[in-house]
Amino acid sequence: MDATRFLAENVLNERRTVTYRSLSRALKVHAHRAKQILFEFHRIENAKKPQSVHATYLISGIQNPPEPPATNGHANDEDAIMQSSPYLPSSMPNQEVTSDQVRIASVIIAREEDLEDAKATFQSISMIHVYSVQPSTLQDLNTLTDVCREMATAHAQDDPLECGPQWGMIQNRNVKRRTGARPPPARAAAPAPKAKLESTVPAKRTLPTKAAPAKLESKPEDSQPASDSQSSVKSTGKPAAPKREKSNLFSSFAKTKPPKPKPTESATQSAAEDVMLDDASEEEQEELFPDSGDKVPSAVREGKKEREEKLKKMMEDDDADDEEMADADEELQREPTPEEQPPPPPPKPAELKEEVTVQDGRRRGKRQVMKKRTVKDAEGYLVTREEATWESFSEDEPAPPKKKPAVNVAKAKTGKPGGQGSIMSFFGKK
Amino acid sequence: MASAEDYGFLRPPSNDEYEPVYRKPSAYNPLQTFTLPMGSVRHYQQQYGDMYFLRLAKLKPAVEKVATDAWGELTVAGESARRVDRVLDVRQGELCWMAGTVYMDMPLKPNILEDLTRETFTSAPPPRRTYADPSNPSATQVMMEDESGRIRLTGNLLASTQLATGVIIAALGTETVNGEFEVIDFKVPDLAPQPQRWERGEAAAAASEQSGQDVSKGSGKIAFLSGLGITGTSSDTLALELLTDYLLGYTSIDGSDAASRITRLIIAGNSLGASVTADTASAGSDNAAKKKLAPKKYGYDASAYNSSPITQLDNFLAEILPSIPVTLMAGEKDPANVSLPQQGIHRAMFPQSRAYCAPPPSGENKEEVGWFDSVSNPWEGDVEGWRLWGCSGQNVDDVLRYLDFPSDDTDPTAERDDSEARLRIMEAMLRWRCGVPTAPDTLWSYPFQTVDPFVLETSPHIFFTGNQPSFKTAVIEADAPLRLDGDVEMTDSSGETPTGRVRLLSIPKFKETGELILVDTESLEVEVIRFGNFAGQEEKK
Repeated sequence: MDATRFLAENVLNERRTVTYRSLSRALKVHAHRAKQILFEFHRIENAKKPQSVHATYLISGIQNPPEPPATNGHANDEDAIMQSSPYLPSSMPNQEVTSDQVRIASVIIAREEDLEDAKATFQSISMIHVYSVQPSTLQDLNTLTDVCREMATAHAQDDPLECGPQWGMIQNRNVKRRTGARPPPARAAAPAPKAKLESTVPAKRTLPTKAAPAKLESKPEDSQPASDSQSSVKSTGKPAAPKREKSNLFSSFAKTKPPKPKPTESATQSAAEDVMLDDASEEEQEELFPDSGDKVPSAVREGKKEREEKLKKMMEDDDADDEEMADADEELQREPTPEEQPPPPPPKPAELKEEVTVQDGRRRGKRQVMKKRTVKDAEGYLVTREEATWESFSEDEPAPPKKKPAVNVAKAKTGKPGGQGSIMSFFGKK
Repeated sequence: MASAEDYGFLRPPSNDEYEPVYRKPSAYNPLQTFTLPMGSVRHYQQQYGDMYFLRLAKLKPAVEKVATDAWGELTVAGESARRVDRVLDVRQGELCWMAGTVYMDMPLKPNILEDLTRETFTSAPPPRRTYADPSNPSATQVMMEDESGRIRLTGNLLASTQLATGVIIAALGTETVNGEFEVIDFKVPDLAPQPQRWERGEAAAAASEQSGQDVSKGSGKIAFLSGLGITGTSSDTLALELLTDYLLGYTSIDGSDAASRITRLIIAGNSLGASVTADTASAGSDNAAKKKLAPKKYGYDASAYNSSPITQLDNFLAEILPSIPVTLMAGEKDPANVSLPQQGIHRAMFPQSRAYCAPPPSGENKEEVGWFDSVSNPWEGDVEGWRLWGCSGQNVDDVLRYLDFPSDDTDPTAERDDSEARLRIMEAMLRWRCGVPTAPDTLWSYPFQTVDPFVLETSPHIFFTGNQPSFKTAVIEADAPLRLDGDVEMTDSSGETPTGRVRLLSIPKFKETGELILVDTESLEVEVIRFGNFAGQEEKK
């Protein structure tokens, strides 16, 4: 059975803790059934090999009044309270100080070994079920929390409003959720690695990608051998991720908060915030790795598809920026294509870059440039690191491309960004 | 074990189909009593004196009516008690009564003038357990003031009574040769008139009746919670997970779908742990110099700010919100303004949960009520037709500091069990008709100019206070006036028609007790559910 295999893999092989809720989410079964599955698994496995699987149980019911062990209870001796409260002389009109009459139900989690002890503290037990199974006794029950968090992360893309019935969640007919400007369940963005990638590459950065590919395609004579482009295409998905990690690492050196600790959360970040954070870290990174001139023109093409995808997604997601994006797009496509064609694509990447930027400067505009580094390693494989950088150029600062990208380029309209960008890069330089 | 008692779960998987369970609808109608004006309309230049003036103007008629009823016919030794309009009109030796605001001068009370001279006025005063000086009880002075002036109150009665600054009372007595007013008796305004259930929005009542028909019969429940104290570490949230499971119906107490009857969760403040702000503050001062040198970055400095607690809170809320509407009150330790009334925690703090917020008000449209409502502290509103008035605990904590603790306390660090006193303070507040009497004296407050929202113009049906050391509840009725003097004279309750019953709830800190409070929406009966783990052999090792 599927469930048994899942449990065997996770608990026995990978030695992880599985709670009834993580099981319920993973297999999309009702929570109640998940509890039964866990119980069955625990029973069967221990029958095969005793002590191979340990369980924790959840007990609910009414506990015995004295000293509920599970809580750091306050003062069980009511009399003492009465005596020691001379502050306000008794004025309760009807003696309904009812703390002892109130029904106190308890929900207690206990390890397998403590189950009988725990049961003994209950006056009446209304329910027991298996809460989790794990390969060994839990030293600290609080580690179950981590399982829950992992579960929330792993299944973040499930919309609780849709999947709730499957899990056995209590439904609410009246729930109101906004589906407005912001994509509401941003956590539902994508499975982990992809989400990370997307979040760290801010919306605006993806814009030029469309332009860049376009211009490359328009070139009739591409100096790049086919094999290269192939390899670069292949490498699109994979190399991006490690690179991102690296950028995180550096950005943390730079005292910037890495975009987000968890992939799911990162996706929820509003685009604007991400742009800012990321630009900051990007900037830093640029400093740490000055241009070594080992760029390959085809690098621009790498990750094209990926970026197009992202672009599409961003276009869908980010309504607010729609207009700007469209503008920029148009501009970029209009401008670069004719300009790019005359200069034959130089074999050296650095040259290409310079060319582009110089032209930009003359064309009194801003230009977003994709910088990619493809390093040939010892075996002759191309290892690609993409670094998409936005640079803005105005008349004031012409030819030599600034290493540091202006932060606000993408957002700002044509005139302004130059000034802002230069100020930022000035500060960044320090 | 499985054969004997399986509770439905300790057995192999069955093929039972589980019917979807639907939660009862929630009738919810918050009041905007404590919502401050936005933006440039919010000023802090006003004088606080206006608040006392407004409070006195509002409560004086009420307390004078009570006093007239009690003392109008009173004669002592042939002399009838005369009413004096202003405290300065009191004549020596003459039996009279007057109404005014209590002001208590206590040795350890934070004093703005002292702070100003020491130039420490920019930071919050250090927390004190009491403002009284136990070694010198006589240093505490009680005064009564009104628009005209102040008179010092004395008398044995005061020694056995507890009052707090900002309370409006009427006092009977005579002026002594020292110019002090010797108090024989005093009166408080007593409970304000209580609205009928469903007074606001009969439509809502009807709607809930109707929709109640297709859902299961029976009364709903309102859940109260406070002091989640999320610190973002794994140590604090197992109980929270159990709570989540319970609220979402994955775990039930008695196999029934009782959790589906909970129509709304109210979180009364301090959802985040103490260490968040404290650590940040200390880290901030340490790194102050360093920070200035660091290049300016966007976002926050990861070394000085830990986003994990608020992220965990957001996750928790986002998890339960699909199933249950939540009212989140700000609290002392939450990221909101310090002065009362604290405004709701901004939705930007909740990237996931904010999808359930009401959309921001656009133009002239009145803001609609959100499924997830981040509200002020204190907060007032109607839930299931009942009027609720609650605070995250600062009001009770502060009044408690005015109370005279026994001075023979050998161990000052010991946690005193004052839960009974806290409940009595809550009762007293209702009878004082003032939910936060000590603002703006010892509790920071917004300088209100035209209205004192802390005055309870109507008595709520449920009066709750969050972040208390332990759970307590009581019911008080209006027909038995509060006798703060310790007079145990019993009023004849059968003779009068009660104008109201108020359920008092002192809500414990969830972080410490793991307790969730449920209040029945029909009977206002209370039950408690406690979440925790069993400290077994592993812990004892």
